[in-house]
Amino acid sequence: MIIVPATTGQMGVLPGHVPTIAELKPGVMTVHEGTDVSKYFVSSGFAFIHANSVADVIAVEAVPVDHLDSNLVQKGLAEFTQKLGSASTDLEKAEAQIGVDVYSAMNSALTG
Amino acid sequence: MASSGAAGPFWRAAGMTYVSYSNKCASMVRSCLKEPHRTEALEREKVHFSISKWVDGKPEKPSIREEIDSGCGR
Repeated sequence: MIIVPATTGQMGVLPGHVPTIAELKPGVMTVHEGTDVSKYFVSSGFAFIHANSVADVIAVEAVPVDHLDSNLVQKGLAEFTQKLGSASTDLEKAEAQIGVDVYSAMNSALTG
Repeated sequence: MASSGAAGPFWRAAGMTYVSYSNKCASMVRSCLKEPHRTEALEREKVHFSISKWVDGKPEKPSIREEIDSGCGR
């Protein structure tokens, strides 16, 4: 079973899942293989669940959660939260919001 | 992401494409990696362009530009 961070919320996928295309938000993908659990942080992307119970998860970056450095994450979160407060153009606000979303997702991945 | 209904995701409303959004997210994740994964990942961010100008319907000699670009375009 896998749990993917879809934009509509955490989505669990088991064999026999209805064919689905889900857009992913930055977050943790958990892979349960028997009793083994692995967690990966995906930067964004898609999950394709096919009719034959094969699921493809596409992401530009997918890293094991323990490859993330929590100091860098917290610094980045503080930086982007501050940028969000001082952003003026729509584009700056969007970039700062993306930063806050990504870094807070990484932060919860490390602390959750 | 249900904020203002028909506007779609906030980055789309601000004029960003999905590709640049996705590349920005990836770039932020890469910047938070521990070494040695970080140096390996930063290699993936490098983008090489081969550009040739066309004159009279024929391409001139291409020039290679190497840029470290996190998210092409806007």
